[in-house]
Amino acid sequence: MLFNSIDFAIFLPIVFALYWFVLNKRIKDQNFLIVIASYVFYGWWDWKFLSLIVVSSILDFSIGLKLKKEENQVKRKTLLWTSIAVNLGFLGFFKYYNFFLDNFISAFSFFGADIGPSSLNIILPVGISFYTFQTLSYTIDVYKRKLEPISDFVGFSAFVSFFPQLVAGPIERATHLLPQFYKKRTFDYSKAVDGIRQILWGLFKKIVIADNCAEYANIIFNNSEVYSGSTLVLGAFLFTFQIYGDFSGYSDIAIGTSRLFGFDLKRNFAFPYFSRDIGEFWRRWHISLSTWFRDYLYIPLGGSRGGTLKKVRNTFLIFIVSGFWHGANWTFVAWGALNACYFLPLLLTNKNRNNIEIVAKGKVLPTLKDLMFILITFSLTVFAWIFFRAENIGHAFSYISTIFSSSLFEMPYLLEEGTGRHILPKTFLLLIGIFVLVEWIGREGEFALEKIGLKWKRVFRYFLYYSIILAIIWFGGKEQQFIYFQF
Amino acid sequence: MRKFIFKVLVFSLPILIVSVAFELLIRNIPNDYSYKKEYLDENSEKIETLVLGSSHSFYGIDPRYFSNNTFNAGQISQSLNYDLEILKKYQGEFKSLKTIVLPISYFSFYSSLESGVESWRIKNYMIYYDLNSSESMLDYSEVLSNHVKVMIDKLVSHYGKGDKSIYCSNLGWGTNFKSENALDLLKSGEISAKRHTVLDRESEKVKAEFDKNKLHLKSIIKWSKERNVKVLVLTLPAFKSYREHLDGEQLKKTIDATESICSEFDNCIYNNLLNDTAFVASDYFDADHLSEIGAEKLSRQIDSTISWNNQ
Repeated sequence: MLFNSIDFAIFLPIVFALYWFVLNKRIKDQNFLIVIASYVFYGWWDWKFLSLIVVSSILDFSIGLKLKKEENQVKRKTLLWTSIAVNLGFLGFFKYYNFFLDNFISAFSFFGADIGPSSLNIILPVGISFYTFQTLSYTIDVYKRKLEPISDFVGFSAFVSFFPQLVAGPIERATHLLPQFYKKRTFDYSKAVDGIRQILWGLFKKIVIADNCAEYANIIFNNSEVYSGSTLVLGAFLFTFQIYGDFSGYSDIAIGTSRLFGFDLKRNFAFPYFSRDIGEFWRRWHISLSTWFRDYLYIPLGGSRGGTLKKVRNTFLIFIVSGFWHGANWTFVAWGALNACYFLPLLLTNKNRNNIEIVAKGKVLPTLKDLMFILITFSLTVFAWIFFRAENIGHAFSYISTIFSSSLFEMPYLLEEGTGRHILPKTFLLLIGIFVLVEWIGREGEFALEKIGLKWKRVFRYFLYYSIILAIIWFGGKEQQFIYFQF
Repeated sequence: MRKFIFKVLVFSLPILIVSVAFELLIRNIPNDYSYKKEYLDENSEKIETLVLGSSHSFYGIDPRYFSNNTFNAGQISQSLNYDLEILKKYQGEFKSLKTIVLPISYFSFYSSLESGVESWRIKNYMIYYDLNSSESMLDYSEVLSNHVKVMIDKLVSHYGKGDKSIYCSNLGWGTNFKSENALDLLKSGEISAKRHTVLDRESEKVKAEFDKNKLHLKSIIKWSKERNVKVLVLTLPAFKSYREHLDGEQLKKTIDATESICSEFDNCIYNNLLNDTAFVASDYFDADHLSEIGAEKLSRQIDSTISWNNQ
């Protein structure tokens, strides 16, 4: 079920009403409802893949219980590795089987050997990368004795399958989300209103910004050979806003929806395009994934401790793995490696934590220096997204080589379907400008709309909300799936 | 909690009221679908020849030139599954029906209304034809399946300017494609042929679509046989700029499949008029649609074929 669908618009009030009016006496009943609602939410896409979530839940629940009783370290390790192997096994099979097979065959054929096996027609289960990492965090934390395993399967299943964040995160830590399933939930008016505002802003980002950017970015990336360098820059710029609007929009809707049910999810985006260096960007972009990799991969590997070589190794490893997490394509690996190259100089010169606070805190405008660094970081990010969006490495390089040609200085344009006339979506570019402005104004909040308008008179506040709704309806592009569903 | 729900309801109320008003006002505007449904509701018992199919038949077959009681129930992008649905809907009422004219085009087996860019038309069948074959809720509402700009244009055009909203004759033939407004045949041929050519023919999805459409055609013929109704399957004429840009394999598979299905039933005749030299440039509106001149020529030809077969 998509958040931006009529199905969800009906589903959510039904679940909300059952949750607060019918099953509000017992936490267990509410948790049970969450499990059922989450399975319906997921099964709406394909009920067959629900079995994977159920298997993951049963496995990690039982391993958690065994880890509690088991004192023998070897046996504990075996249990942990069983969980890791099965979860990553699912992920590996559904997401990476064809990639590895194809590369294996290519490698052999390069040396003249012709081997037979062909790719399987595998459908990638929606959200597998997200819930796999979430359940893994539970087992690892229980293994490390950071978390007491729970003996209530319904509560655990609710944690694994919690529908607001099941298919595209934020990836929640068991230590953060799981205890919330055992706390008495009382309806909090201001939290719920905040949730609605965050959902509204998330829908704006997704439907107005991301879906419209997608339309233009797809035209440019899919026909990059016919466009000028300047248009390709525009394409990369639009994709930059598409992916931000799409993914952070999803996170906003997920967090807002959770608030309606009395849950707090982790913040996943913190205005990353206002970052002044790549280190800051990565602390503000897909925070739940970055911190997951930091805590469960980077730090166990030694993190930034040790010699230079170790730092370089760990940095590349985490960025490449993070890139590969996004999809079975060398383009994602290249995107990860490029980000590692951006980040490494900061790490080696100990400047990676220079910019912790949001830029120009308490001020209206940034300093010229900050602005310059924001623009540099943004440009580097736009450039890296080319690899992320390209069909393959060859496409990425040909795209980049066209950018760095003389046509870079031409006026960008799009070819109108049917007539072939040169057009430029000026109104939409203006809308992106307004969007950036609103994000800038609201950058000190959890999400842009969090504090904007709160102290205004009701009539103006409602005017703002209706304007956003009108923009969603008016500029509503073609309904597109959320990009991160494919990851 | 009460305060929250009250505020959400108050806030949503204007949106709800505007949506309901839009829905009612748009539904109130007559259109080709509502007209055809109304016609079929009232006259299906009298219809002797029923024309089905997509825009090729909607614009290309004019019932005025038929010697018996004929109605054109074709529509732009109407795929075989909807032809079948219409037959099923009125199955008890076609008491005089003797012949069904069913065009099979180059794309008929490779596409359906659901899979193409015209899928927004599905709601017209659900809302105005009272069919309920769609599983998507959106297809049962104008407001949910239309862009707001389209809705406002419709409302302004009908209620503001008083523009006409029905683009078919009283017997269901599409009146829009007039010879005086004919398009560039060379350009339109290439563009339409490309649009109608399926590139991933070997994909599982397209193969399944192909099989499904074959089944729909069979079901239509079978349905007709059970009611002693003849089926005249036609591939309508097209200008050479269209024919020349067609993919040979897709065309062959379509023709072969149609011939093979028709040969299974004695109530079915298949005439391939794609290359019919009787149709010249002045008969076309664009390279794959006839104008009123071509429609008259074709309709008379079909009428004589039906008469000859009924002798």
